[in-house]
Amino acid sequence: MTTLESPRPPQRLAARVVPYWILGDGMTSIVLTGLAWFVGRPWLAESWEHWSPQLEHLLLGLCIGALCLAFFIPPLNYARWRYGFVDDLLLMRYGILFVEERAVPVRRMQHVDLVRGPIERLFGLATLVVFTAGNEGSAFRVPGLPVGEARELRDRIVQMRGDGQL
Amino acid sequence: MTDNSDLSPSPADPVEDLGEPAEHLRGAPDDAHVLAKGHLHPSILLLRLIDALRQVAFPVLLVFFDPMFLVIALGLFLLQMTYAVVRYLTLEYTLTHEELRIRVGLLHRQERRIPLDRIQDLGFESTILRRALGLVVILVETASGRGVEAKLDALSRADAEHLREVLLTARPRSSNPAAAATASGDDDAPAPTPERRDEPEIEWVVHRSSTRELLVRGATDMRLSAFAVTGYAAYELANQLGFVTQIAGIAATFRDWLGSLPPVVVFAVLAGILFVVMALGIITSTLGNLVQFHDFQIALRGDVLQRRYGLLTTRQKTLPRARVQRVTIEQSWLRRLLGFAVVKADSAGGSRTDGQDTTAGWDVVVPLTRATTAQALLPALLPGIEHTRFVWHRGSSKLVIRTTVQGCLLAGIAIAATWWRLESTALVALLIIPIWTALGVLVWRNLGWASGEEFFALQHGIIGKNFACVPTKKVQAVVVRQGIVGQLLGLADLTVYVAGGSPTCIPDLTIRDARKLCGDLSRRAAIAAARDW
Repeated sequence: MTTLESPRPPQRLAARVVPYWILGDGMTSIVLTGLAWFVGRPWLAESWEHWSPQLEHLLLGLCIGALCLAFFIPPLNYARWRYGFVDDLLLMRYGILFVEERAVPVRRMQHVDLVRGPIERLFGLATLVVFTAGNEGSAFRVPGLPVGEARELRDRIVQMRGDGQL
Repeated sequence: MTDNSDLSPSPADPVEDLGEPAEHLRGAPDDAHVLAKGHLHPSILLLRLIDALRQVAFPVLLVFFDPMFLVIALGLFLLQMTYAVVRYLTLEYTLTHEELRIRVGLLHRQERRIPLDRIQDLGFESTILRRALGLVVILVETASGRGVEAKLDALSRADAEHLREVLLTARPRSSNPAAAATASGDDDAPAPTPERRDEPEIEWVVHRSSTRELLVRGATDMRLSAFAVTGYAAYELANQLGFVTQIAGIAATFRDWLGSLPPVVVFAVLAGILFVVMALGIITSTLGNLVQFHDFQIALRGDVLQRRYGLLTTRQKTLPRARVQRVTIEQSWLRRLLGFAVVKADSAGGSRTDGQDTTAGWDVVVPLTRATTAQALLPALLPGIEHTRFVWHRGSSKLVIRTTVQGCLLAGIAIAATWWRLESTALVALLIIPIWTALGVLVWRNLGWASGEEFFALQHGIIGKNFACVPTKKVQAVVVRQGIVGQLLGLADLTVYVAGGSPTCIPDLTIRDARKLCGDLSRRAAIAAARDW
């Protein structure tokens, strides 16, 4: 029990989470960039006297950049995402710029949610959320699990749960 | 204390419709194990009357402008009183072996059931008026994180003592052997307890605050900001009442008068004003502390910590030792200089960050004492800590590099943002870099952590010093975080979460240390959880 390396979460998300994220993020960024370009740009050009072609190029660059990010971030995110249920511990590791590693003793869980949004359902994916008594809301949140696997994991977690003592 | 957890009927509250009112007033005969049962004390109606009169006073004053206000006032008054009377007549609490049940309401009936093993803390509170009438407010705290779950305002002191006595005795002694061994409370109220007791429990006074300690606490209370806020509020009031122009006039004359004096005198006058302001701040905070923590006493009876304090509003807070999630010893720089410290304990009932006081002081275990005494008191709060041998580790010294890099970035941004206006003067921002480096050195020097088999301890601070100790069996989650600079330097922050959400964070460990500590802590927590189960 003294000098063990932290256990590495072994499992990856379902690969189809990448198109799901691209679709979700892509839609948001298309809407936002569309608003910026087709509503914000004419409005700025009309009402702000310092508006210049250089600024317009800058805005165009930003819009294209945002659209590109929506396509490049999901694969990177997928490559980094790991989760697992090892012994009594729920483990996860994720994040690109800010990496977070989390270990939650499964017996401390208070309740489990299985969330499925409309696009998630389309892809046959589910998000598993495990709550503990810690105040920061969900202690453990894994997106992009295949539905069957998510259900199975949830059932395993529920079976392992403790008595909720604090 | 929030009032929204009061059992007032509101559409947001979970409601369970009950049967016939007659049966409901009679109390459910279904449960054979009723330990205590009762209603509010009738004197509460008098208090409500006073409250209602006080609220109506303002509209009545407005009657001089428009007689309509009399109708409004009367309506308000009647509404308030009807509500109070209905509440008084219908509220009934029942304590069984499993749960505390509180029923209330006539049209909109509501029943709240709180399982006994979910009750974190049972507090008594009594304002002057209530004390004069012999009344006590009972505050039931659970781990929901909302603080007070239910509030019984008010019971007679004897009823309240009885209820607490019975509740502490009836608390299930299931999983936690330490808590189960001696969970029964014993109090001076001659309340009959239904359970057999081996021998009367001895009360051990852990700490009693002297007036001197409270005085020092007040004097070293750095809440001068509160004073500034008061000053600002006074200014706002003066502004609304139209005094500001007059004040400005006075200020102008004062300035002219100052200008006519030699600089030495001006300096003395300004220093005098500053001194008076600070002295006033210190005096108000001292008085505040003396009133809030008057006659503070913490005692250990069996396995339950009891705190009693307060001059105007007396508070009596019970905290089972097994429910303590984290203990901190906090020293602000001034108190560190004088060798004093505050001891606080977090239960699952609420959250706060280090160095912050909650308004009712529910988390304070010792308002102020010598730092050495504070350390010596730890075993009373965390049994078993005296056997734990802590091996202290330092954080990574790369921490200084991180803060320096951050300082460089900040300075760069500041210079870039102000260059077009200030030009070379903007280079003053370069001073940020050495300041951030110095801060990094200070943080690193004060930082230390130790991980024992049963406890995890952390020491941190910049010029002050804070010590935090978490029993590993209370750990709910362990998180390792790396920012951008952290990834480049191989540094990570480790945060330990306990119930109630007072996170304990060690900044800037090497990623190896952080991972290892994360693994150790979470595994020990899992083992403890399995043992509990």
